[in-house]
Amino acid sequence: MINLIVILVSALMLALLLVWWRWPAFRTWIEAPKYSMLRQERRFDHQLK
Amino acid sequence: MTTSAQNLTSRNERVINTQTLGALPSIEYGLIRAHVFASLVTLVISVLFGILVATKFTFPEFLGGHGWLTWGRLRYNHTQGIFFGWLGNAFLAFFYYVVPRLANRPVLSRRLGWFLFWVWNFAVVLPGWVLVAAGFSQPLEWAEFPLVVDAFVVLAFVLMVFEFVLPFLKARLSDLYVSAWYIIGGIIFTMLAYPVGNLVPELVPGARGAAFSGLWIHDAVGLFVTPFAAAIAYYLIPATTRRAIFSHFLSLVGFWLLFFTYPLNGTHHYVYSAIPMAAQKGAIVASAYLGMAVILVVTNWLLSLRGSSGTVSKDVPLRFVWFGVVSYLVVSLQGSIQALMPVNRFIHFTDWVIGHSHLAMIGFASFIALGGIAHLWQRIPGTRYNERMMNWSFWLLAVGLTLMVTDLTIAGLVEAQVWQSSAPWIDSVRAVGSYWLVRTLSGLPILAGFVLFWTSLVTGPRLSEAITSGTSRVASESIVAFENVSPASATLFSTDWLSYAHVVAFGAGVGFFALSFLVLAILPGKELEAEIKQVAPVTMPTLTASEQRGRVIYGREGCAYCHTQQIRSLAADVRRFGAPTEPWETKYDYPQLWGTRRIGPDLSREFNLHSRDWQLTHLYNPRLVVRDSVMPPYPWLFDGSPSQPTQEGLEVLAYIQSLGRARQLSGFDHQTLASSVQPETPDMAMASEPSARATPPTVPIAMMGGYSLTAPVLHPASDRDDLQEEVSRGRTLFAANCASCHGSAGRGDGKASASLLPKPANLTAALFSDERLSSVLWNGVAGSAMPPWRQLPTEDLCALVAYIHSLHVPGATPSTQEATSLNEGKPLFAANCASCHGDTGAGNGPAAGALAPPPTNFRLKKPTQERAWDVLENGVPGTAMPPWRSQLSADQRRVLVEFVRSLYGPPQENSGQ
Repeated sequence: MINLIVILVSALMLALLLVWWRWPAFRTWIEAPKYSMLRQERRFDHQLK
Repeated sequence: MTTSAQNLTSRNERVINTQTLGALPSIEYGLIRAHVFASLVTLVISVLFGILVATKFTFPEFLGGHGWLTWGRLRYNHTQGIFFGWLGNAFLAFFYYVVPRLANRPVLSRRLGWFLFWVWNFAVVLPGWVLVAAGFSQPLEWAEFPLVVDAFVVLAFVLMVFEFVLPFLKARLSDLYVSAWYIIGGIIFTMLAYPVGNLVPELVPGARGAAFSGLWIHDAVGLFVTPFAAAIAYYLIPATTRRAIFSHFLSLVGFWLLFFTYPLNGTHHYVYSAIPMAAQKGAIVASAYLGMAVILVVTNWLLSLRGSSGTVSKDVPLRFVWFGVVSYLVVSLQGSIQALMPVNRFIHFTDWVIGHSHLAMIGFASFIALGGIAHLWQRIPGTRYNERMMNWSFWLLAVGLTLMVTDLTIAGLVEAQVWQSSAPWIDSVRAVGSYWLVRTLSGLPILAGFVLFWTSLVTGPRLSEAITSGTSRVASESIVAFENVSPASATLFSTDWLSYAHVVAFGAGVGFFALSFLVLAILPGKELEAEIKQVAPVTMPTLTASEQRGRVIYGREGCAYCHTQQIRSLAADVRRFGAPTEPWETKYDYPQLWGTRRIGPDLSREFNLHSRDWQLTHLYNPRLVVRDSVMPPYPWLFDGSPSQPTQEGLEVLAYIQSLGRARQLSGFDHQTLASSVQPETPDMAMASEPSARATPPTVPIAMMGGYSLTAPVLHPASDRDDLQEEVSRGRTLFAANCASCHGSAGRGDGKASASLLPKPANLTAALFSDERLSSVLWNGVAGSAMPPWRQLPTEDLCALVAYIHSLHVPGATPSTQEATSLNEGKPLFAANCASCHGDTGAGNGPAAGALAPPPTNFRLKKPTQERAWDVLENGVPGTAMPPWRSQLSADQRRVLVEFVRSLYGPPQENSGQ
């Protein structure tokens, strides 16, 4: 059980880090939502104003 | 443009925005208002329930005359009210606010939204409360609402999928913000996990059912409360600071880790239990991983707040979230640590855990939910907002919660310390009495804080102006810069499959649910099933219909929330309660009643432990037999007195007296019963695994039935000064432990005596030998309400012996009658008394072995002349001793009294005279 959990968590983390390291564009893509969220927020604020 | 904004812009020059913006989606402000209002109403009611529950620890009789206001039912309604009423409504309000923003689409349907509102509040919360108060509930942690209500909860989650998840599916966003991941995953996961925690334990018994319950106990917090609170924090921090979160990549790593490890934590609520050790250890490892995941998540939040300390101090909603973030870090690390075996063995079942859960539910979830509500409320046109009052609300809540958690944590440590000793259980209750009072008082600022929060939303200026001023604070450079990013620069990740991120989030919910279900419930269940099949005695009795009904009453009154029915493989547990619980012992328990908290002692081995009268008196009013008990009274199970139980009273008595019967009658422990107490028994789970639970049991310190042990003879001090000191101490001990039955003067006329049969001994009416008193204190008296007191330290037992000697009124001297009179008595005694009392009055006649209480041994217990006469006249009700008025003449009885007194033996044999 412990081995299973450790292996799965490690695999999950390694997979994420590998993608992050191998494809720089992934970093850009994965960070994009935090800006679109802010843009939406500003659009709604403008609507309220 | 700020430096950080420039950096962020620079780093994200290649970002692609696949979202087609178009017109803004509509937001259902009416539904937001309705859910906010419902959340605050239910919050205040739930907190009031909590304060009543806490008050009853100090004043157990407070509102104790009505079943619907009893501790157990209020406790159920307190936690379910917080869970469904407060947090459920608060999250729903937030969803209506944020889903259109994140999905750029409105929620599915306003009509569906109102239907969901009515289902949630008028088919779940309100009927749930009413049914629990009326006695229809489920004795399962975080699943107390009855099954009929659970059906509507599942329906509500299905409706949530349509209302909130479908907009994301329709939008097919390639850049799904982390809050959306949490919302989708949380809804899907809870929709699947809820039936597992609520329905499956009704179908799968005992230890196997507990594995499922453990799953839900943690999922309720970890996959309903946490994801939605995290979604609020991830949204509110950037929305308030107007700066993007530190790393969206880390936020998603945190998401996956939380969703992976949270479900696997469930069994850490049952460490050292009968659940297979592999599952326990897996849960402990997952708990450690969870702690690391939370460090990652919180670090991301705090880095997102870097440079915003001014905003945090000025913006009260953000401050609420900040407090919640810090609490999340503390409570999660605390959770990881307390799952570890060396810590768990001490603090589990104590108030430490209650402090932990309050820190999670108030400090983390409620603070963030309050921050979310305060934030969105300022953005609903036409609402009022009183910032000053909101600020007061924050401080009242922060101070009240800090006090409560600190107090409960210390109380837990105090309880743990007493439980590790051999002190009587009631000592742990006495030791934390003052802490319980402080806990109750700490609830008052919390209640005031919540009321002020509510008030702050309906007073103050209307918010159309505030919104304008709020947006003027916005540092919008980063947003402007982001909008200028060239879409053509990120071709690599503009593939179609990325627009299915929401499906991945959906899959996370389903996949991790399936994994946790398999690892924590199915696999351990299979192992338990095989073990039960192999070990369970063939003749194991099932519960009778009456006992089964009693079990339902036991569950409905919340007994399992103070009394566990699982003895862990720990020396402290084994010494106090008996051998560790075996999985087969609970194979007929639908649902399991293992419990996760001990305010009273474990009841797994209650069979033969206390007499019927004691149990009934204790149920009617616990303080009649245990002076300092905080257990609620259950007068509605009686017709006015402990000796007149109703049918329900008899049924719950039958159930309590059946606990541990299968174990005792099966002969499972036969080979080891003769072993003596082993106070230094090693922790079995640590000694040899995984067969730790097969370790032979020891005789528990509180167990009496069937365990007749040779008691050490306790002698009072011989020195006069020391003796006086002992008597003085014995008086205090007697008042605390014995006077409720024997009366303050030891005349057998204590408050409980009216309902006990046989009556408690009149300690002034006989002279007891040290041997007799030692035996009674050590083993109790079978067939009576007198329990064993061997858990008291030896010096305390000696002090009690000394004090009881001091109660004796002289007069029990041996007979000085002439030999002719004694000669007349001898045949009378032989003909009428010797069959029970033995030829020499040693209480060892041929019939004695079958009698409980056993016949008096006149060499050890020497009644006064008056008492002996009274017994011959009236007998001893509740024992085999009949009245002899009709069989023997007054002269014959007088002769017998003299003869019995001749059996007392020489005075020098009487210690303590």
